[in-house]
Amino acid sequence: MVEVQLADVFVEMADTLVDDFDVIDFLHGLTERCVQLLGVSAAGLLLTDQRDTLQVVAASSERTRLLELFQLQTDQGPCVDCFRTGQPVSVADLRTAGRWPRFTAAAAEVGFTAVHAMPMRLRAEVIGALNLFDTTPGPIDEGKLRIAQALADVATIGLLQQRAIHRRDTLTEQLETALHSRVLIEQAKGVLAERLQLDMAEAFTLLRDTARSHNRRLADLAQAIVDGTEQVPSATAPA
Amino acid sequence: MAADRRMRLWTLVAEHAQGAPVAVGDVCRVVMSAVGVDGAAVTVVLDAGQRETVYASDALASELAELELTLGVGPGVDATAGGGAVLLADLTAQQGMARWPGFAPAAVSAGARAVFALPLQVGAIRVGVMELYRVRPGGLDGERLADALVLADAACALVLDGVRPGPPRLDGSAPEPVRLAHPEVHQATGMITVQLGVTAAVALIRLRAYAYAHERRLRDVAGDVVARRLRFDPEPTADDGDGVRSGG
Repeated sequence: MVEVQLADVFVEMADTLVDDFDVIDFLHGLTERCVQLLGVSAAGLLLTDQRDTLQVVAASSERTRLLELFQLQTDQGPCVDCFRTGQPVSVADLRTAGRWPRFTAAAAEVGFTAVHAMPMRLRAEVIGALNLFDTTPGPIDEGKLRIAQALADVATIGLLQQRAIHRRDTLTEQLETALHSRVLIEQAKGVLAERLQLDMAEAFTLLRDTARSHNRRLADLAQAIVDGTEQVPSATAPA
Repeated sequence: MAADRRMRLWTLVAEHAQGAPVAVGDVCRVVMSAVGVDGAAVTVVLDAGQRETVYASDALASELAELELTLGVGPGVDATAGGGAVLLADLTAQQGMARWPGFAPAAVSAGARAVFALPLQVGAIRVGVMELYRVRPGGLDGERLADALVLADAACALVLDGVRPGPPRLDGSAPEPVRLAHPEVHQATGMITVQLGVTAAVALIRLRAYAYAHERRLRDVAGDVVARRLRFDPEPTADDGDGVRSGG
């Protein structure tokens, strides 16, 4: 079962080589794969904004409270430590670890007790982190840790879309563009949520499903929705 | 840490303004000294899609901005289209020449060797672009890049906040970050475009104006909008002249 899912990840990775590759959709799918493959409760990808903080770029759930938990880690938390050290950070039980008080309290409210962060690395540089949460406390086994790192590496590759980014300049552009796409998606979520009276998670699902069924990039569709040049029909809204 | 950088840079900007209301030019002068570039220009996109260069530090900065407007290609154009900063450490290198065969040679002839274009943009809201140049080649990274990005954000905030009615902020505290606001701010922006039937730019301007007027953090006001505790209505209510209604 795991082998099939892993094979699927590789197939999806090949999608990154085509012209109209949708990086945000790819990263989102990857976080969902993390949940399936690693048996965790939630996964999120954070990228450096190149000015001191980490920003969420994709998460397995778009529920506001969950996104909050990822986003809370702008200056404190396992992801920040992981990003700064370039090393995986693993906490089997937040309740007894005594680290990151604000983050731990917020995680507890949502029911998460275990957390792991894997670095997204580009050669010597760390560009972000893969964040995993679990409601069940306990360490993550070696095999899963290796898969988690591999998935973080796949995310890096997908994001950078080419094997060798030599110039700092291109890296900056790619990172900034990904975060720009995320802002577009947040704005579009707001438009859909208000127009169709949905919550943010439902709004994201509608956005993503519409993008896929119309073969559009998530960010492009999001832009059109916010610009008002495109209406997402309510007929496709979830029940 | 991010807040430290913003405060440090905003203090420099406010100092440059010497008591007068802070303007885009003040931000540009600080960019030039803090980041180490020879010139800066800010071009703003107006309602009808027209562009106007609201500040240029010198003739070359102005000329580069004009060049892109005329040619319709260049790092600034790319930055606005893609949403990401476009940094060229050396325009004469293969990368620059190949990417903009019309713009790059002309810019180099005019005297620019390195060009950095930072979009002033918040998702679908295109405010404009800040373009920096150097007469000698050399890249932007690490601390200087971070400073440049934060200052570009400050310039974006100034342009947005300057548009709203009411007195400008003179209390010296830095404007709320625009590009890297809390996600709820972007969600609230989207919601307000529907509530008021306005463009995203107007929605964000109104949201920021409300936060300033009520002396609340932007993310808290946005949180109220997203949680549907706060609505922005077109008709002003009896007790809240800016048309914002609280409660369920």
